[in-house]
Amino acid sequence: MTRTRTNWAVEPWDDSEMLECTQIVPETADTWTFTFRSPSGAWFDYQPGQFITLDLPVDPSKGQAGNVQRTYTLSSSPSRPLSISVTAKAQATSIATRWMMDNLKPGMKIRAYGPSGIFSSHRHPARKYLFISAGSGITPMMSMTTWAWDSGEDHDIVFVHAARRPSDIIFRQRLEQFAHRSPGLQLRFTVEEPEPFKTWHGYQGRLSQIMLGLMASDYLEREVFCCGPEPFMQAVRDMLIALGYDMDHYHQESFGAPVESEAESPEMDDVIPDEESRAQISFTTSGVTTGCAETDTVLAVAKRAGLNIPSGCTFGLCGTCKIKKVSGEVHMVHNGGISDEDIEDGWILACCSNPMGKIAVEV
Amino acid sequence: MTQPYSTARLIASRQPGFSLPRELYCGEQALQDDLQQIWYREWVFAIPSCEIARTGSFSTLQLGEYPVIIVRGADGRVRAFHNVCRHRGQRLCPKTSGSSPKLVCPYHQWTYDLDGKLLYARDMGEGFDPSRYGLKPVHCADIGGMIFVCVAPVPPSLADLAQNLMRYVGPSALAESKVAHSSTIIEKGNWKLVLENNRECYHCGGSHPSLCRTYSDDPLMTVMEGPNAASPEILAHWDRCDKANLPSRFVHGDNMQWRLARVPLMDDAESFTMSGKAAVSRRMGTIPWNDAGALMFYHFPSSWNHFLPDHAIVFRILPISPTETEVTTKWLVHKDAVEGEDYDLQKLTEVWLATNDEDRRVVEENQAGILSPAYEPGPYSPSQEAGVIHLVDWYCATMTERLGLQTAAE
Repeated sequence: MTRTRTNWAVEPWDDSEMLECTQIVPETADTWTFTFRSPSGAWFDYQPGQFITLDLPVDPSKGQAGNVQRTYTLSSSPSRPLSISVTAKAQATSIATRWMMDNLKPGMKIRAYGPSGIFSSHRHPARKYLFISAGSGITPMMSMTTWAWDSGEDHDIVFVHAARRPSDIIFRQRLEQFAHRSPGLQLRFTVEEPEPFKTWHGYQGRLSQIMLGLMASDYLEREVFCCGPEPFMQAVRDMLIALGYDMDHYHQESFGAPVESEAESPEMDDVIPDEESRAQISFTTSGVTTGCAETDTVLAVAKRAGLNIPSGCTFGLCGTCKIKKVSGEVHMVHNGGISDEDIEDGWILACCSNPMGKIAVEV
Repeated sequence: MTQPYSTARLIASRQPGFSLPRELYCGEQALQDDLQQIWYREWVFAIPSCEIARTGSFSTLQLGEYPVIIVRGADGRVRAFHNVCRHRGQRLCPKTSGSSPKLVCPYHQWTYDLDGKLLYARDMGEGFDPSRYGLKPVHCADIGGMIFVCVAPVPPSLADLAQNLMRYVGPSALAESKVAHSSTIIEKGNWKLVLENNRECYHCGGSHPSLCRTYSDDPLMTVMEGPNAASPEILAHWDRCDKANLPSRFVHGDNMQWRLARVPLMDDAESFTMSGKAAVSRRMGTIPWNDAGALMFYHFPSSWNHFLPDHAIVFRILPISPTETEVTTKWLVHKDAVEGEDYDLQKLTEVWLATNDEDRRVVEENQAGILSPAYEPGPYSPSQEAGVIHLVDWYCATMTERLGLQTAAE
């Protein structure tokens, strides 16, 4: 006897059908969630973390020609398949998102393509995850976290998110509700500045190696998913590489340009100091020049050459080993022990700087 | 143990309206009592906030026995700490000012965040809890761009001063200024003599030829009775300021601990310059006229100040010994004013550099005379030296109350 299905009798939605906007909800001062359903009642089948391309009639007077296509990572989860939603922040220069905020209304139908993309925990099953996001880069993380929660299984996720201020943390309440009921979800928020007249007990300041170590001491064992502006993701990659993290387990999505397929993934031009690559340091005050590997720190090379640079923490926090670089390039991953102004003026911290090729320093 | 004298008894023995007994101006015990009862209990003006405008900018000062560091955090907030490492007590930051992303002890590199939290201490063992060894905070308040600190466990209320000072200095937009010049001198005189000298202009005619080009030594210009009673010239000035919503009328705190009033300069002069003209072409804040005079603000025990339309001059005194006082003067101009273009540093500073040096000589000679066993307190001029009487009465009342309580507790 064939058992009749209560739900999902129909096929999942495909993008030949237009989507109907059903709900518009403000999340923070400049971020809104737009929810869509299929008029036929079809359900949505995708992988958490994927994105969708919306075809928006930004200038309706020009007909189809006025449309712009924009990709948005889905903030909804396929574990809740009746609708999909995107959550977008209106940047000062945004056209499409601004159009949605100003013009999109429940009942309107728009054309959409997808969902697609390779940024999904489904494609990289792991025992432990580390999600790292900044700003609206939180949306795919929300999707993957909701899936983990809805799956009813034990999960182990450290959820790191960086925002400008506490009130800019998108989905904060929903995440906290998950976390209150699930010891497997650890939330770690850091903000540039707290709200005036409101206490803030989370982290503050730019994400650094030290902060990451405090947020998830076992980060080396975790599958990392990262999404945010490119400079943020670059900083995360530099941190992880310097900490010896196996980058095969690192995955990233940019909310600026989501990636459709492996072939489309951008080549990361990370600076990875190579043990085989030779470098050379000239200590100009001492008149000593010595060869070394790119993986050596300036501090270690100085010591080997019989020179001593006063130092303290040896990981770029205390700033004691600050020296002037005369020429050449170093790769420096510090922990806040040097200011951006000093870096611009040519100062480096010897303990966390690797020479890339030939360099000269005032030692 | 017997003391050579008791500060409380000396104060009790003083004759109101007369200068103080000799030991109060030169004795070690008097200085210790002054520090304990006043300097360690009152709010002390430290620096203008523009001096530490960016994250990590800091400034240090020595308040009696207390080295203090004031620093701006990554969140933009200004905080003050005891400038003492929690490891073995090294003075954390020996420089008077600078900028640093973290506060690092030069001895063993204990590293504190700008909010005082201990971030890193090497090899301190398993059970070491860094959260117990953060920097000790010092009370710190930024009032309209003037930063005050207080090392007392419970500081006195600042509400009254804050409310008035913010209103009066608001139009000068101090936070939007920069320090164009700073000078620190040591005057070989007791801190009370330095302040007494500042509180009267009886001596101006004989000592300050350059200041007197623009600042009147008429006692009616210095002493005001209240917000509606002053010389006709000042009342006219206040009426004019009222119409422009520029707070100007005389206000003061309890016991005259602080005072604010905007007074005109002589003959419509614009600024404390040799020419009487503005020293800075790019004006500060929103004061509507060049001839708005000087907003004068003093606060016992540490500060007097002049806020002019084109620049501001802030003064801080700190006692060094019974007969030595550090006097720091800072000239503030609009932060975008360019030296050599909008102002000439020499023209900006010459009047008060000269006046400070003249005052130094006056105070040092005053101290030298008081050091003579032949000194005996003399009478203040009621009309010329009312400001000194305010100071000495405030000092004696404060000390009597606090030393009295202390005596009662013993």
